[in-house]
Amino acid sequence: MYKKILAAVNEHLNSEVAARYAMHLAKTVGARLYFCFVAEKGQQVSIFNRAEEAMKRIFIDAKKMAIDIEAITETGDPVKKISEIVRHEEIDIAFAATRREDVEKRFYAGTVARDLSLALPCSVALVRVVHMGRIHPKKILVPLKARIGHLAERSYFSAAIANAFGSNIYLLHATKPITSFFHGEVHLTPIEWEKKMSKDISHFMEQLNKYKIIHEKRLVPGRAGRSITIEAAAKRFDLVIMGASERNLLGSIFKGNPVEVVLRETPCDLIILKPRHEDK
Amino acid sequence: MKINSLSTDEVFQILVTSADGLSGEEAKRRLAEFGYNEIEEVKKKPLILKFLSQLTHFLAILLWVAALFSFLSEYIHPGEGMLTLGLAIVGVIFINAIFAFIQEYRAEKALAAMKKLLPFYVKVVRNGKETEISAREVVPGDIILVAEGDKVPADIRIIETNEIKVNNAPLTGESEPAGRIKEPFSGEIINSPNIAFAGTMVVSGSAKGIAFSTGMRTEFGRIAHLTSAVEAGLSPLQKEIVKATRVVATIAAAVGIFFFVLGFVIGRTFWENFIFAIGITVALIPEGMLPTVTLALAMGSQRLAKRNALIKNLASVETLGSVSVICTDKTGTLTQNKMEVKKVACLYADAPGKVQGISLFHIALLCNNTKEAEGNLKGEPTEVALYKAAADSIGHIENKRLREFPFDSDRKRMSIISSMRDATYVLAKGSPESILQICNHCFKGKDIVPFNKAMEEKSVELYHSLMDQGLRVLAFAYREVEIGEVIASKEDAERELIFMGFIGLEDPPRPEVAGAIQKCREAGIRIIMITGDGSRTALAIAKEIGLVRGKGTVVEGAEFLKMSDAELHSVLSNEEIIFSRMTPKHKLRVVNVLKEQGERVAVTGDGVNDAPALKRADIGVSMGIAGTDVAKEASDMVLLDDNFATIVNAIEEGRTVYENIKKFITYIFASNIPEAVPYLAYILLRIPLPLTIMQILAIDLGTDMLPALALGSEKPTPGIMKQPPRKVKERLLNMPLISRAYLFLGLIEATACMFGFFWVLYGGGWTWGTMLPTNNILYMQATTACLTAIIITQIGNVFACRSSREPILSIGFFSNKLIFIGIAFEIGLQLFIVYHPWGNAIFATSPIAAQMWLVLIPFAVLLFAAEELRKFLARYRLR
Repeated sequence: MYKKILAAVNEHLNSEVAARYAMHLAKTVGARLYFCFVAEKGQQVSIFNRAEEAMKRIFIDAKKMAIDIEAITETGDPVKKISEIVRHEEIDIAFAATRREDVEKRFYAGTVARDLSLALPCSVALVRVVHMGRIHPKKILVPLKARIGHLAERSYFSAAIANAFGSNIYLLHATKPITSFFHGEVHLTPIEWEKKMSKDISHFMEQLNKYKIIHEKRLVPGRAGRSITIEAAAKRFDLVIMGASERNLLGSIFKGNPVEVVLRETPCDLIILKPRHEDK
Repeated sequence: MKINSLSTDEVFQILVTSADGLSGEEAKRRLAEFGYNEIEEVKKKPLILKFLSQLTHFLAILLWVAALFSFLSEYIHPGEGMLTLGLAIVGVIFINAIFAFIQEYRAEKALAAMKKLLPFYVKVVRNGKETEISAREVVPGDIILVAEGDKVPADIRIIETNEIKVNNAPLTGESEPAGRIKEPFSGEIINSPNIAFAGTMVVSGSAKGIAFSTGMRTEFGRIAHLTSAVEAGLSPLQKEIVKATRVVATIAAAVGIFFFVLGFVIGRTFWENFIFAIGITVALIPEGMLPTVTLALAMGSQRLAKRNALIKNLASVETLGSVSVICTDKTGTLTQNKMEVKKVACLYADAPGKVQGISLFHIALLCNNTKEAEGNLKGEPTEVALYKAAADSIGHIENKRLREFPFDSDRKRMSIISSMRDATYVLAKGSPESILQICNHCFKGKDIVPFNKAMEEKSVELYHSLMDQGLRVLAFAYREVEIGEVIASKEDAERELIFMGFIGLEDPPRPEVAGAIQKCREAGIRIIMITGDGSRTALAIAKEIGLVRGKGTVVEGAEFLKMSDAELHSVLSNEEIIFSRMTPKHKLRVVNVLKEQGERVAVTGDGVNDAPALKRADIGVSMGIAGTDVAKEASDMVLLDDNFATIVNAIEEGRTVYENIKKFITYIFASNIPEAVPYLAYILLRIPLPLTIMQILAIDLGTDMLPALALGSEKPTPGIMKQPPRKVKERLLNMPLISRAYLFLGLIEATACMFGFFWVLYGGGWTWGTMLPTNNILYMQATTACLTAIIITQIGNVFACRSSREPILSIGFFSNKLIFIGIAFEIGLQLFIVYHPWGNAIFATSPIAAQMWLVLIPFAVLLFAAEELRKFLARYRLR
């Protein structure tokens, strides 16, 4: 599915870490890896130098891992330039790090991360780097909704990342509690929840089995965003991989936005995948 | 691959830093990316929104509609008193919202207590220079310098160490100082000895490290995140009240709408129907229920305080009563936390032998960090007990400690190098498993012989026999350091030791605990022991206190970690369970699984890392004496005496509170029928309205309140701890309660009030079908009689509601003095309403003759007698 992977690098440490995730993915799936740095016009030389140094470090490591690699440096508007590179090189997936300022903006509207995920004609993996100690994730949490869009790509991506680091995957479905008007919240045991598991989740698990990934699943009633961060913190997960929000602005205002909550509160690194490869 | 498994150079590389530290510019950039190194609260619903939600639930909306229509009526028909009614309804909405909010409110101070564990300033290396910065500005990649007395500001990977020891208690619960190393360590970060964690304190030595995780992403931040984010949800009582109010509000709305339509069908005017609809709705809604419940809970919390249990939020008082599982620590809660040496056992002798002038007690005394200060021994309880026993036995020994390899949870032992007389020795003590594996000799009589397989097996047998007696067992070993021998590391020191023997220490159970556990058994409450002790010791203690009677299921920490959630579910379904060799961080998982099984869980804890489990449990119980501030702030109840028996007393109190809530709900609901029947009579019989809406509110929010509260302070019935915990599906407002209140007690009261109303009307010459204006004296006296009838029958009702089956004499007619105070208040308020001009003006009443009271009193007696008869028949049927 992924033949060409691009990682956007800049002067920030988290972009370097995000690029390393791309590097390991490229190694696992045998893809060609492109590193690109787009210098904005009028950017300070020191910033340019730092980005160059980061590029060099990644380049050396990628070479050590025998990855087919290409480094690109451009000048201009990052979103526009990266978009051009993606189109020109027919990139399958692009990695970019989210910035803290992205997290602080409500619905992370108007941020480079969001612009990239909307503008790029390929799949986008937005990486939020928060923990520098867990270099190779061993425990990956994959929260799933009952209905999973782009199921094939999401399961492929999760399996590939797990393979890259030899990790186990834990699937989490945080579902709305069942309520009735007079009885309020109805308590269901895990076995009863199990019976209510959606076909898509079962299908996702079948896909992981196909990729021979060890996985466990857990269903919890509660608000999705908060349940994910609690699970990630309680069980010391190293990485969370979740799908990008499909909720519109109005929906986010009234119902909340789980992706936004996880982005803000994640206790470990987070990859938000915006898949573009259609299910066959 | 994690940071702890890397070499120093690799750490520099991965964090893109160097021995000179970060540049100021880079630090600034990283601060912008990673944020401040501080503990932050997760985003929660603001208090104002929480309060507003109390104004917008189903019942409140119904009342808002009623108030709106009242204001509308005032606009259309001014001077009919609808403005007062509208304002009164709005008042009811706010009173209920305030009381519901008080029940739910709990000051969140746990994070504030956690913040105190982080330093304000810290020494870092930046631009190659040592500098002091605010701890909140530390970023990943910063080189941190820590020394004795410092609090560690972030999770740091140690790269240089000078015999540093840290106290990891906030994270692990172990107060024993743990040494830190700089060498790579493969394993989990949390167990890594080359990491100093944020929130811990440097006890001795100093070190240099690289910060790799800051703020909420540190291990300490993880606990803070969980403490802040996990919620136990609504308490069982709060859920029941939501359900009850929804049922009642739906009934009220449905009845209101039905009769409103019926009124049109039978030809009543819109105005009459409108008054009726609002009246019946207000009559059927128990406006005083929530304030009474809240006040009853407050009184319950006062009683609990007298029994050494401090309640942090009101709803917890009742939640205690529904607890079905208690997860409890052992040391200090079930036991007295007063360690004393009980047994000394050697392989080939009963008493400790002496080889080369070294006895087992020499090791116990010298390989020990207990300090003597002002005649007192200060240190960890186990060490103090060993020191005391050894000092009593051999007195003071001249020695010089040359080096110490402190205890850590991985090695499970400590050792020292000490010079005594003319020789130098390695002295070691620790868990039997850890000591036996580094011994290759033991002594037999006065001879040192090789430690063979048979001896090893005999040793294991010996220490198992000690553990089976409920003793905490430590093993002791030593060797003489050869002249010229270089000991550079603990591995050099801790090898080829001579095994000396075991000491078994006892932490005696608290005397009240066995009785409390028996009480829990009778009450159908399961107790799960979670302890750091070994399985055999834990099991022996559990058997001694009656916690385990059969074989019991013992799960060790290592086994627990390997279990999937499904396996844990299956284990937790067993009756008698002990989790041994556990650390507090695992409690949260146990609590989660139990809650998923539908259990109502109480969990005890005292450490910082207990906080998430304390928050998640239905009832988090912290220790008032041994507990940290964080645990106390995160818990729902603080035990002032750290005693398990107090939890059981509190559960008894909680069950009593629930029983009492049912009693006063019966009392309050019974008066809804005489409030509603006048409206039905008004619409169906074409008579003047017998009871005004303001008079209804006078009952619900006035005269009923204190007697109801008095019912809330009834003493526990003898069998309260002999019943199983309330089932999750058991409703507060169940069919027996509703039928008793509405169809039995309520109907008698309704008969009385209608009798009083017609007695006055007919006595005043009224004829059927005549409608009287609202300011007519006769009419006002008739409504006053109707109101008085309800008040008088409610006096009989308050006695009737003191028990559901037991005769009043068996519980003691005068045993609850508050009942009489409540009745006195009720009568006093009614006298004010009936005879004071202000009361007359507010409630549209008019004074009635004293004989009228006498006419109505037999109804109260009738109600009481009828209820005693019903109880008798109920008891008879149960026989």
